[in-house]
Amino acid sequence: MSSFVIEASGLSKSFGQTHALSGVDLQVRTGEAIAIMGASGSGKTTLLHCLAGITRPDAGTVAFQSGAGRVDVTALGERERSRLRREAYGFVFQQGLLIPELTAVENVALALMLNGMPRARAEEYGRGWLGALGLAGMEDRRIGQLSGGQAQRVAIARAQVTGASVVFADEPTGALDSATSAEVMQALLDSTTGQGRTLVVVTHDADVAGRCTRIVDMRDGRIVGERVPGVAA
Amino acid sequence: MIARVAWLLARPGTAGAAASLLPVTAFAIVTSLLLVVLGGAQSFWTWPDEIGVTYQALAVIALVLLVVPLASLGGAAARLSARRRDDRLATLRLLGATPATVSELAVLESVVLAAAGAVAGVVLYFLLVPLVALIPFRGEALGVDGVLLGVPALAAVFGGVVLLAAASAVLGLRQVVISPLGVRTKQDAPKLHWLRIVLGIAVIALAFLMMSVLQVAGSVMIILGMLGAAFGGTIAVLNLIGPWVIRLVAQSQARRAKTPARLLAARSVLESPKAAWRQVSGVAMTSFMAVFAGTGIALLDSFGEAGDVESQQLFADIRTGILITVIGSFLMVASSVGVNQAAGILDRGELYRSLDMLGMPTPTMDAARRRAVMSPLRITALGSAVTAAVVMLPLTGAAIIVAPLSLAVIAGVLAAGIGVVWLGLLATKPMLERAAAGA
Repeated sequence: MSSFVIEASGLSKSFGQTHALSGVDLQVRTGEAIAIMGASGSGKTTLLHCLAGITRPDAGTVAFQSGAGRVDVTALGERERSRLRREAYGFVFQQGLLIPELTAVENVALALMLNGMPRARAEEYGRGWLGALGLAGMEDRRIGQLSGGQAQRVAIARAQVTGASVVFADEPTGALDSATSAEVMQALLDSTTGQGRTLVVVTHDADVAGRCTRIVDMRDGRIVGERVPGVAA
Repeated sequence: MIARVAWLLARPGTAGAAASLLPVTAFAIVTSLLLVVLGGAQSFWTWPDEIGVTYQALAVIALVLLVVPLASLGGAAARLSARRRDDRLATLRLLGATPATVSELAVLESVVLAAAGAVAGVVLYFLLVPLVALIPFRGEALGVDGVLLGVPALAAVFGGVVLLAAASAVLGLRQVVISPLGVRTKQDAPKLHWLRIVLGIAVIALAFLMMSVLQVAGSVMIILGMLGAAFGGTIAVLNLIGPWVIRLVAQSQARRAKTPARLLAARSVLESPKAAWRQVSGVAMTSFMAVFAGTGIALLDSFGEAGDVESQQLFADIRTGILITVIGSFLMVASSVGVNQAAGILDRGELYRSLDMLGMPTPTMDAARRRAVMSPLRITALGSAVTAAVVMLPLTGAAIIVAPLSLAVIAGVLAAGIGVVWLGLLATKPMLERAAAGA
């Protein structure tokens, strides 16, 4: 069995006249934290969306290796990719993008309820994850009653509660101050690579990237370099 | 300076042209419906005879009943117009723009959009006139001449719609002016006092008592006074207890929700029970009126078959009027729901996109927002109808026995009205699908 959880080859994607990705190859190993860096418009978010099955590339393939076998993500239909994202992947976005009218625990439990788990059990799991991320006692607060860092921890709990083998994070600390950013990144790493899971993170922040196991640099829709944090390229 | 900033803000943002088109469409619907209603009512004033006065009095009652859903729709259109720019205006405040500048910008934008919509509404009204002219009263169609409004009335409605937009923009943005952060973080959690329900039940009980002792009243004037007090009092408390009941039901639904769609819908209603009520409150008055007046007419009709032709004609026309008023109010509520939903989808576009990324199926998102509208609507329509039936209890029972068909027609129209609102929701489904797909 391949040690790569995700293998992408020859990915190309255009939006009108703009070439967001041009022949990108990338392998993501099981249990690693990989940071994708680059200037705005370099194609890093498009790459993350293609890897996660959110966007279908114009050319190239993305394969996902799960316990059940190897899946060609690019060959799946909209519904199957949606199911894959729901069951096998977790997502953390820059603004959290939590549902404001739900409480913290309901936001987390919703991910499990979508997979058919009964609500009571889903909330029990949700409380467990929130407690593990330092949010015990805040489970029944609405999102507007939480700080930015706390809300982002709820988003991490939501991404992890389903037991996702890969978590995709798009600028997860982009809206936070540096101290909170460090705390949130640590929580994200602890709950992913710390438990043998894989983290793919898109970031502008060198400090965030520096805490990952590998950094991929992008420019003009291409991967222009790979490095290990702390080691000169 | 204001005009230059307004021009900059008027350029389409991330929501595209829809951000401006939606309020214009909403104002067009408000204007055309208002003109159609006024045009229809105007035709009653062309009858100079004695019974014509009765028709005019009934037309005034119908107009008053339609004012609530119309104001609700107008308010939705105005709020939508103001809210389109909420974020950018709040940002201007954060950048140091004075409250006066923000208010002037809001008013200017809303007035321009309302004026464009009102002009489109007048055109739509002219297209609808031939259809409205076909409605029969007193044995013949109203006719184009009867329902066509003059220039002064058209100008007054145009001015009224623009004024409503300006006033709503000022009120809607007061929060931005007071605290720009308040709007940006949406932290307020609504509270409703339980005293509302106590007062509401007391008034309904009083109305029931008054209707029960109606037959012992000494004169026609006292009977009319008691009828008016029971009708008016109950209508007034519906507004008081409506949001409270909606909140209570939503709380229970949120506790019991087993699926994501049910949980999202219940929480969405709990976010603002007053807003959920405001959206459908027009139906409360018409449902109440339909059962209240419908019961009376059904009974009078069945007892008055031996009466003169003129009386029978009047009863038939009142029944037509009730049905038109109910249909009109549901059309307005459906438009209001459509406008609010479209605005909601635009506002929450990024959230819907993120939910799609998480793997939430679009039908689940759609089911949640549909339930968030239909549940308060069902509570409102059925609750108001049941309240009227309770207030009129002895008569309702009699009407069910002697004139079941008349009541069945009213029930059918209420059900059809709920269906129209559902269609209004369905119309915005493609918008949701586009938002979820990030298109």
